[in-house]
Amino acid sequence: MSSSSTPFFLWRHLNKLRWLVLSLVFLMLVALPFVHVYQTYVASFSYDLLDPDEKELFGIMEALTSPLTDNPADDLDAIKGNTWSGNFFGYKISDPLAVAGQAAASLSVYWPFVLTALIPILFSLLLGRFYCGWICPANFLYELNTIVALSLQRFGIRVGHRRFDRRLKYLVLVLGLVLSAISGSVLISVIYPPAIVGRELYFGIALGGVGAGLAFFVLTLLFDLLVSRRGFCRYICPGGALYSLLGRFRLFRIRRVVENCNDCAKCNAVCEFGLDPLHDDFGQECNNCTACIAVCPTDALTFVTRLRDEANQGPGHLGRKYKHLQQDSG
Amino acid sequence: MRRRSFLQKLIVATSTLAAAVLPYAFARLLSPAAAHDFSHHLRPPGSLADDEAFVAACIGCDLCGEICPPKCILFDKREGGNQVNTPYINPENRACTLCGKCMDVCPTEAITHVERDEIKMGLARIDRSACYPRVDRGVCGACVAICPLGDRAIVFEFANMYCPLVKEKGCAGCGMCVEICPHPSLPIRIVEPSMGTVVKHAI
Repeated sequence: MSSSSTPFFLWRHLNKLRWLVLSLVFLMLVALPFVHVYQTYVASFSYDLLDPDEKELFGIMEALTSPLTDNPADDLDAIKGNTWSGNFFGYKISDPLAVAGQAAASLSVYWPFVLTALIPILFSLLLGRFYCGWICPANFLYELNTIVALSLQRFGIRVGHRRFDRRLKYLVLVLGLVLSAISGSVLISVIYPPAIVGRELYFGIALGGVGAGLAFFVLTLLFDLLVSRRGFCRYICPGGALYSLLGRFRLFRIRRVVENCNDCAKCNAVCEFGLDPLHDDFGQECNNCTACIAVCPTDALTFVTRLRDEANQGPGHLGRKYKHLQQDSG
Repeated sequence: MRRRSFLQKLIVATSTLAAAVLPYAFARLLSPAAAHDFSHHLRPPGSLADDEAFVAACIGCDLCGEICPPKCILFDKREGGNQVNTPYINPENRACTLCGKCMDVCPTEAITHVERDEIKMGLARIDRSACYPRVDRGVCGACVAICPLGDRAIVFEFANMYCPLVKEKGCAGCGMCVEICPHPSLPIRIVEPSMGTVVKHAI
């Protein structure tokens, strides 16, 4: 019996680490296009031909990278790409959704590409939908968007709180694969926000002009703001659907310690994905973002290694309702 | 009564399906289909020869563009329909140097490693009625001098100094000659390999 046990103290600080990881990934996506532009300057030996502001960029990048490498044109290729598909020190890592979409579009399986998704799939099997909460660069912007929505509410501006059926995104995923097969192109990549963000940052910074994806992304931000909080991730995102399916029987999951819970429902309020930690309803949608652990005032949420969620454990033992029930029975 | 509940279910199913299609429809509307001229829209070296297979294989990750040293690989950003976010090279803007980095970085089979001698992006075709040395407007030879494949791909015609002659077998279609050509009407262009190396004029 773990009635008086408190969770491992580090779990409640994981949320800070998560924000750090999210910011670092986003910062990387912003920095890599600048690195590429610098590499093109180096490769063409064109310093003397650059504009003054281009020379400034050259100087900054040279100062940043000269301690790391003498040959920036080749050595800085070590980290390239975005979260849709990237290249880290010779290892290619791709989004499982990219593999699924490409297999559907070309109606064939290219094994070297499938293997690039192996690491994300393994991590998703262990940690569930962790990609959505911990890495996704679009999630970073969506969470900031939530903060904007909350501050708008403070000024009395109404924001959307509609709820739809969470199963819609599985339909979007299946439809996306079918449409990819019909159209013969990876159509999923044009509506998948992390792919859009990575791409548009590169287009905007290195190629001097954003694409149509940015307009779509702004639409999703407005959808989240005006119709449904985090609506795109909860109800539409095909990648979220795929990661949810992969993480259905994840090994690491969050569990409510009913002995410590006082039914304050802060966890439900803070959950970006609209889940119900208060009634032990995490399900396959939980992305282990640990925001509920960080917000819990009574240390009633912790990590466990178990393949299934607890069934509803009833009211928390520190809550008023539980005490009433005890009095009634005793 | 039963018919009514069936109708209600039908309406719910259709509207759910419509809601699921909506994001794809939006994304598609934002990037309408557009026709491309082959000469301005070469695929990167090592690309699948069949363009439909290339579009099906490409996931639009931008890795090839992000690693390209001359930054010659561009992307269909706002048009292209199915081809949106796929890479292309416009040799009139900046041409490929055949460095082969994009071949090694592409995670899919869209761009695979091809030996430098076997790259076939297109074929350079010369309009002899405009090329400066061909019409006795002085010496040039810029295309021959810049060609990264040297005399395997383009040479001077024998006994006719500075008149370029493209070799159909050797030319990789990288477009360097197009980028360097000083003539404003660009008498040298990259065309599909089946079209030959010389522009044929109807008399």
